[in-house]
Amino acid sequence: MSTSGQDRPFADGFMDDYFAEADEHMVAVRRSLMALESALGSTLPSAALEDLFRSFHSLKGISAMVELREAELLAHHMESCLRAVRQGTLTLTTANFEVLVDGVRMLEHVIASRRTSTPQPLVDEVVEKLDALGRSGVEAHRPAALTATDASNEPSQPGARARLLRVTFVPSPQLVERGVKVDTVRARLMQIGEVRNVTPTVLPGGGISFEFVVETSDASPLAQWKDDGLTYGPLDAAAAVELRGAEEADAATSQERRLTELTLTGSSNVVRVDLARLDELMRLVGEMVVTRSRLEDTLRRVEAHVPFQEWRALQDHSARLERNLRDLREGVMRVRLVPVGEIFRRMPFVVRDLARDNGKRVKLELTGHSTEIDKFLVERMMDPVLHIVRNAISHGIETPEQRIAAGKPADGIIRLGAATAGETVIIEIADDGRGIDIASVAQRARTLGLVVPDDGGLESRALLDIICASGFSTRDHADRVSGRGVGMAVVRDTVEGLGGILAVESKPGHGTTFRLTLPLTLAITDAIISHVGDQIFAVPQTAVREVVEVDENLLHAFERNELMPYRGGTLPMVRLSEMFSISAVKRPRYHAIVVGTGQTALGLIVDRIAGQREVVVKTITDPLIRVDGVSGATELGDGRVVLILDVAALSRARRQHARVITGVSA
Amino acid sequence: MVRAALGSLHDATFVEAGSGLRAIEVLGMEPVQMVVLDLNMPDMHGLDVIRFLRSHDRYRDLPVIVLTTRGDDTSRHAAIEAGASQYLTKPFAPSVLLSSVRELLDARVSRRR
Repeated sequence: MSTSGQDRPFADGFMDDYFAEADEHMVAVRRSLMALESALGSTLPSAALEDLFRSFHSLKGISAMVELREAELLAHHMESCLRAVRQGTLTLTTANFEVLVDGVRMLEHVIASRRTSTPQPLVDEVVEKLDALGRSGVEAHRPAALTATDASNEPSQPGARARLLRVTFVPSPQLVERGVKVDTVRARLMQIGEVRNVTPTVLPGGGISFEFVVETSDASPLAQWKDDGLTYGPLDAAAAVELRGAEEADAATSQERRLTELTLTGSSNVVRVDLARLDELMRLVGEMVVTRSRLEDTLRRVEAHVPFQEWRALQDHSARLERNLRDLREGVMRVRLVPVGEIFRRMPFVVRDLARDNGKRVKLELTGHSTEIDKFLVERMMDPVLHIVRNAISHGIETPEQRIAAGKPADGIIRLGAATAGETVIIEIADDGRGIDIASVAQRARTLGLVVPDDGGLESRALLDIICASGFSTRDHADRVSGRGVGMAVVRDTVEGLGGILAVESKPGHGTTFRLTLPLTLAITDAIISHVGDQIFAVPQTAVREVVEVDENLLHAFERNELMPYRGGTLPMVRLSEMFSISAVKRPRYHAIVVGTGQTALGLIVDRIAGQREVVVKTITDPLIRVDGVSGATELGDGRVVLILDVAALSRARRQHARVITGVSA
Repeated sequence: MVRAALGSLHDATFVEAGSGLRAIEVLGMEPVQMVVLDLNMPDMHGLDVIRFLRSHDRYRDLPVIVLTTRGDDTSRHAAIEAGASQYLTKPFAPSVLLSSVRELLDARVSRRR
């Protein structure tokens, strides 16, 4: 890479902006490529073609600015190919489309290498192929090449630009029966563009209609949804803008026009912030929460020494400070939330590649992209989700022949969805493939020396324990994507390390569903404070179902577990005093904090509940002091340190304990 | 869980909606007498759902119970101001939810008479 010494620091200052912008363009590139691929052999969607051309053009420009020559070169050649396609001098076929895909992959590689400061890959071969491809079009139609530059500056067809549309959806029971609900409509609209706004309205007759404002460059799919209660038209205000834009457009290049459009539609209100700054802000808020609880403790102590009037005023201020702090904390937290769609956006590309490599046909359905989750979590969830999707394609979905033989449609479906539930976010990855082969899992587990129930029956929890065991794989040999048997272990560790829960459900012949339940945010949380002997524990409130009183006489032992009658069933109980070897006075009555659901439900027996508090979570990362069952620590107002319990780990520990017992008795 | 808590309402039918928009869609099509609402939903905030309901005559008196993990006064005020009929903080005792639902349903019936 040729870089003049004095320009380098100048470019370095821009690098973060460059990466962010390049990422945005790459996302657009992937989207357009997908659209083009599905139309290969027929009329290519001009909108996707336009978008792709512009993205390459922009990438070329910004890469040149930061002197990333390899990227500039790749983008330049792909732009040339696209220009030829636009002019009709080059026809995209499955074969030469792959050249473009390879080019894009290399471009990603180049940008990633620069970001991680690793050596640049060799781009020559790919560039040569792209160059040949671009030239083949021009040479075949030499006369057309003369006008090539002019043509690229001509305003594109009006349909190709992003427009704001007003889409109205009137739901009906008939539509719901056919599976067309407002959520479906929203998901569809998000596929073709960006949903800017949704307003529900009550119709004069009493029904409901929804009005979506959608920004899209390709409104053609809308027409085919007419039977699904959808009507659409241009948005009035935007129509005016569009009109004005068209008049001024003659002189402007397409690049400039796009910028104007973005400003008009409000995207420029977005500020990019370094995550480290937000972390710092969150840390400061955390400190303030601790300081305020100290203030409250001090206030309580001085109550007797201060005249009542004065004390009352102090108390008021302190209470107001608490409210303000809570708002501040929530505000900062909200800033950290990003749509989970960041994870999803890359998936169509991944699925397409993998499906092709594995000789499978897979459709990907995405829902709930706009569900928000902490930025920190999004980044860490990327690999686990990717891994599960890979597994679904290589293990779950059958080949088209097998599917047809099984009476299923040839195309497999992978559904990737996200939704919020209270203070947690649930990400679901479901496939409609063959399901996990229980018998083969059990067989394989036995040969690896894992404990399997004798009847060979594996309920979903035990199944998860086995497929997540390190070194487990039903594949005899590893391929490029799956079969090394370390993946699921890492997935579960990541999810649980973040305070989440991983669950699996599988039906032979019908498919497998993985469910990742994650907390919305990690830094500050409400917790139930409880005492055990002289120790204090905090249990994150998101994990708590309820608090019940426990009568010692109602507890009964069963195979070294203690069980308590609970809501018509039984609940396994864990005495924290035993778990952490705390000497505690025996009492006739205890309190129990009920955590988890279904198989993982558990009652934690404590001496007494001290109340509910906002705690600042300090995670324990030092492996030397890490203890199973403790996820972190926090500080109370009086400076005492409180351990925060890791509910998932406690439940896991109990299950492993229980399994060893059954293994011995069997 | 909410459903389990309300299981003893024998005559009741339940319709689940996974998002705010979906909840409104259901309201437009089914004769719903009571809404139990989580504030944190993917597409539309629970408070916006309440505000929408309260701004239309048809739904002005529809009882809405808000369930949330946010127990502070500010959130409670915001919800009540938006028009929530009841505000329950998680973890809640199922019996509390059940009695709230009964109370609100009874109030509705007696008002009609």
